[in-house]
Amino acid sequence: MTATLAAFSDQLADAVARAADTIVSVHARPRLPSSGVHWRDGIVVSTDGTVRREQDLSVTLPNGRRVPAELAGRDPGTDLAVLRIQPGQLPVTSLGDPATLRPGHLVLAVGRLGDAGPRTAFGAVSAVGGKWRCWKGGEIDLWLQSDLTIYPGLGGGALVSPEGAVLGVNSGGLSRPLATTIPVATVTRTIEQIVAKGYVARGWLGAAMQPVHFSEATRRRAGITQEGGLVILSVEPDAPAALAGLMVGDVLVALDGRAVSHSDQVLEQLAGDVVGRTMAAELVRGGRLERVELLIGERPRPGR
Amino acid sequence: MTSPFHTVAADWLDQSVVEIRLDHSVGSGFTWAFDVVVTNAHVARASRLEVRLPDGQTRMARLRLADREHDIAILDVPGLGLPAVLRRDPGLLRPGEAVFAIGHPWGVPHAFCSGVVHAFGPLPPGYPVPDGVRRRTWVQADLRLAPGNSGGPLADASGRVVGINTMIAAGLALAVPVTEVDALVARRAA
Repeated sequence: MTATLAAFSDQLADAVARAADTIVSVHARPRLPSSGVHWRDGIVVSTDGTVRREQDLSVTLPNGRRVPAELAGRDPGTDLAVLRIQPGQLPVTSLGDPATLRPGHLVLAVGRLGDAGPRTAFGAVSAVGGKWRCWKGGEIDLWLQSDLTIYPGLGGGALVSPEGAVLGVNSGGLSRPLATTIPVATVTRTIEQIVAKGYVARGWLGAAMQPVHFSEATRRRAGITQEGGLVILSVEPDAPAALAGLMVGDVLVALDGRAVSHSDQVLEQLAGDVVGRTMAAELVRGGRLERVELLIGERPRPGR
Repeated sequence: MTSPFHTVAADWLDQSVVEIRLDHSVGSGFTWAFDVVVTNAHVARASRLEVRLPDGQTRMARLRLADREHDIAILDVPGLGLPAVLRRDPGLLRPGEAVFAIGHPWGVPHAFCSGVVHAFGPLPPGYPVPDGVRRRTWVQADLRLAPGNSGGPLADASGRVVGINTMIAAGLALAVPVTEVDALVARRAA
């Protein structure tokens, strides 16, 4: 079996070498750099958590050259930051499909710190699942966890298959003890939005809500079957909810044709590319079911 | 069923690995040459030490030289009779290559653990380890070591020794490159 292990070992080292041609070191925080992936020509992606400053950024390329970079934008919701470098300096990473992964598949984490060679960790996929909402607010297309050790500075680097294809960006800060990977689809979508606008726009209603239960009598009177909805607690002036005529005390029961009884369900509806879209909202007002049209706005960004 | 990690190379290397006992602590060592064992200086803390062979027999070892700076010790073990390990220059390792360690973590004799090469060389500036550790040249491995692995061999997929397992820092396994043992022997012989 020694020949088998030696052959497998060579395959892993080849996979690291192949991915590493597109992996850079990102200098955007004090002391230890982090890693980044050259996702599109001139576009490097890393984790939001490791990009601590917005000025005076640079990256070290696989050939050891340190070149200036600028922040194209960041999305704390998915823990991604996007940097621009001069195009044509290194190959673009080769993307795989993380949806084909199952628990037990072998994977590598590949990163780079400074002008030395690539750094790697090896392990197995621990869990794969569907879409999920990150505790930081963003929607992530695939739940992807592995038993890889994300050593200091490996965050922002790539999850790599034994064939050398990049499956996503490893986040050191999203969860412990298992490593969480932001999958290819989420990274590509976030990069597209950031390159276009400089940030990721999220839908906004401008109303605070809280779950409530309906009494049997209320349900009968309004002619609905669902057990609860979201009572409007406040409406911000000139916000989409105010413009649609929503009032304190209204109970939202459906948005865009889907029943809502918890605020997560509303956030989920507002997560995609929905800014500027009109959605039908159903609400219980004064005991009767009413219908209004809501023009989805863009959530104001803190500090802007 | 055989696992790709259960290799003839590991069984073969295991025949060169010894336990080094001092008071109540256990460290590891491996056969460098005829009746010569290499371990860490922090394992060989006395001039005479008990060495236990893979078959359970014991021998008395004499400390020939200890280099505290590089954490290398060389022991003379009369009647050792074990095969010397094969070596490989760790500077030729590629990140991602499979490596394995044999040692006695927490006193569990002749335990095997496997991982991959993380990197080779000093740790980068800013790495969360003391500067004296950071600046030294290491074989850095993604591998789970424990006390008792100290002084034991880190080997490549073919069982060729590349380093002496020495410490764990920020979760990384750090091994002294075997080339430093050659350098030490050459310095002392000169």
